[in-house]
Amino acid sequence: MISWFIGGPLTYFAIALFLFKTIATVSKYLKMPRHLRWDLYPVPHQGQEGSKYQKVDFAGLKPHISLYHELKEMSQEMLFIKRAFIHNPKVWKGSFPLHMGLYLGTAWLVLLAAGALLEINGFQVTAASGSTLAGVVYYITLFTGIGSFVAGLWGSAVLLWLRTTDEDLHFISDYVSYLNLGLMILLFGMGLTAWGLADPSFSIIRQQVTGLLLLNPLSVQSPLVTAAMLVFCVFLIYLPFSRMMHFVGKYFFYHNIMWDDEMMQRNSPMEQDIAAYLQYRPTWSAAHIGKGGTWGEQAAGGLPKDGEQK
Amino acid sequence: MKKTVRIRDFGSQDDVFSPIDSGSIPLLPGEEEGPRFREIKPELKEKYDFSLDGFSALSLPIPKTEEEEAAIVNGFLRGLEKLFEKENNWGFLLPTTLSNEYCMQCNTCNEACPMYVESGRQDIYRPNFRPEVLRRIIRRYFSLSGKLLGKWAGADLDLNWRVVYRLAELAYRCSLCRRCASVCPIGVDNALISRELRKVFSQEMGIAPDNVHKSGTIQHMKTGSSTGMTPLAFKDNIEFIEDIIEEKTGRRITIPVDKKGADILLIHNAGEYMAWPENPAAFAILFEAAGLNWTLSSEAMGYEGVNYGVWYDDVQFSRIALAQVQAAKRLAVRKIVVGECGHATKALITIADRLLVGDMAIPREPCLPLLEKLVTSGAIKFDPSKNNFPVTLHDPCNMVRLMGILSPQRNILKHIVPEGQFREMPNAGTNNYCCGGGSGFAIMNSQNFPEWRNNVASRMKARQVLEAFKDVLDPAIPKYYCAPCSNCKGAARDSLLGHFGFKDKYNISYGGLVELMVNAMSDSTQPFISWEEEF
Repeated sequence: MISWFIGGPLTYFAIALFLFKTIATVSKYLKMPRHLRWDLYPVPHQGQEGSKYQKVDFAGLKPHISLYHELKEMSQEMLFIKRAFIHNPKVWKGSFPLHMGLYLGTAWLVLLAAGALLEINGFQVTAASGSTLAGVVYYITLFTGIGSFVAGLWGSAVLLWLRTTDEDLHFISDYVSYLNLGLMILLFGMGLTAWGLADPSFSIIRQQVTGLLLLNPLSVQSPLVTAAMLVFCVFLIYLPFSRMMHFVGKYFFYHNIMWDDEMMQRNSPMEQDIAAYLQYRPTWSAAHIGKGGTWGEQAAGGLPKDGEQK
Repeated sequence: MKKTVRIRDFGSQDDVFSPIDSGSIPLLPGEEEGPRFREIKPELKEKYDFSLDGFSALSLPIPKTEEEEAAIVNGFLRGLEKLFEKENNWGFLLPTTLSNEYCMQCNTCNEACPMYVESGRQDIYRPNFRPEVLRRIIRRYFSLSGKLLGKWAGADLDLNWRVVYRLAELAYRCSLCRRCASVCPIGVDNALISRELRKVFSQEMGIAPDNVHKSGTIQHMKTGSSTGMTPLAFKDNIEFIEDIIEEKTGRRITIPVDKKGADILLIHNAGEYMAWPENPAAFAILFEAAGLNWTLSSEAMGYEGVNYGVWYDDVQFSRIALAQVQAAKRLAVRKIVVGECGHATKALITIADRLLVGDMAIPREPCLPLLEKLVTSGAIKFDPSKNNFPVTLHDPCNMVRLMGILSPQRNILKHIVPEGQFREMPNAGTNNYCCGGGSGFAIMNSQNFPEWRNNVASRMKARQVLEAFKDVLDPAIPKYYCAPCSNCKGAARDSLLGHFGFKDKYNISYGGLVELMVNAMSDSTQPFISWEEEF
């Protein structure tokens, strides 16, 4: 009963909550007002030409957009965590394998789902499968799964070690940092244990995914796999409420803040939005801010008459 | 000996939470002993709060009653709440929210921060220290998990007036250079958090450095300039500058003022007129020589380019930016060009961009590309041999890391300085360090804050300058530290020359870029830079 609950309803719930909260978080950021410019250079999509501020009459020039440079920078940062590699190699030694573990783990989940779909359609996803596709899926699943568990476990253990023993990292760390790393170690460690001792070909977990896809979840056929799925569900439920959601934040940091060099244009949607924001009524209390006016009125009206700060 | 501190003890009763240990401060080449900080007078200690690190940038009066203490705490909490409301902080809501939520405590930012490194790595100056204090307060007072779980949810800091005051002071130990943000793998901007904290203190609690607020933006709006220079005084200054030009070049130039319909309204940091009049003089010489159709404005707000609001207060920032643009509109100029001032350039061109709707969106440009054009177009002839002395270039954070303007000034120097005389300093370009005067530091002279600024904030720049000139430190060789930014020049004057004695020890002088350009003009009969007189 418990293994069915974990492998069925709890997993559905965890996935649904994760998706719901993630979408809500993204939506919250998307709905926030356009912010004032806060660029940080170099801005990669400006390419080798660099900032348009380096040109006379730049406002009339067509913006130089280099998708190549932007993609290059993005991929280096996403895949290799370039900034940590350059500026914090000590942490990178743990952070990079941990992130690799997460990327491979995500790929593993997708491949498990792909394998399950193949099995639903009559292909056996095994080493001896008659289907080339199913065979390839089998081996890549194996590689990504084992790779994920090993890399993730190694990376999170290194980070926990550093956070515990390194004076600087220990100084800044709060309990949540240790909790997060502990959870990661448990997640990857349980995955590795379940694979090594109970499910070396991932057939049990694939069977479970098949049941989930068919909306007919089964009892999990192994206590270790059940335990691993429980940890996965806890992780999935916790993740969107934690700072580990920085993968969402990172997109906005890069694209919507540091690299957002869009200029104000007349009669543009941006101009309309800003005009609307200027109707907001700030309630800041300091003496130099007038009472009750809109942002537009505060800006245009100058200091309040008796406005010198007390 | 460096004192060990813990974040959760930030509100402790200690007289000074983290006294700076001068013995830990790394010495500069040639420096024989670390700084000796003066004792604070007992009567000042009784009256004002020095409890962060033994320095005071804000002259915060120590509360006398429990009611006063409670008012400080409540005002801060009220302000924090407003910081995350779109009606109160639409302009920075997304960046602030993200930076508050996603720091992974990896410390990558630490070594990027010149204040932290040059303080001898005092914990409180870590760029992620003050945001971490802030996050723990926010979790403790505004999140359900923090209220229920306390330290297990990262909410282990109780608020008292000392926390608030120390945080206020700590917001003014960061020069907003954003070097930390440029190395953060996630993009978290700890400098922005410093700025947002400054906003809470100013916009909600009326707390800001006097030099930045009362005699800064308030004076700016009342008199027309943060220097207190009125339109009448401005006109007098222009005559004075015309005299300087005549004296230095033998030619009388009439500087165009209030010329309607000019192509360019040139707007300087008004500090130039008072402290470095040769800078606006050099601009006038160059613009006239190139035959540009330009003007200055004598209207209040039209002759002052600074906008201190950018450092601490969005309301003040908006008011000043709008008034500057309105002054330009009344002259019906085609565009505004901002002189050699980093924060003024960024404030008016970049940050104000999304505030200027409708016909307020007048083109605004930095001066450096235009100056480059004067050089490369051949409009003015230059003889680089006239600048036959070692030159290094400072990259003002606001123009370079925050606007990406790197090549024009270098291209200019290539044309006006002989080969081999220009040398980059270490970490040049977008990786450069703050001059030590950024975000208002250059003009903040309250209590003993200048001691901190000179000894800590400016130390990295001093180190860079010495490194750039290391092969020519012999005082017999005059050297030029080129800083195309008024605040950076102020920091050079007060810290590099005044405090570290670089003029006396090494014969290093400082100045802007246009002075070097005029000095190299082929048709000039005498040097524009007169080393002994001006520096």
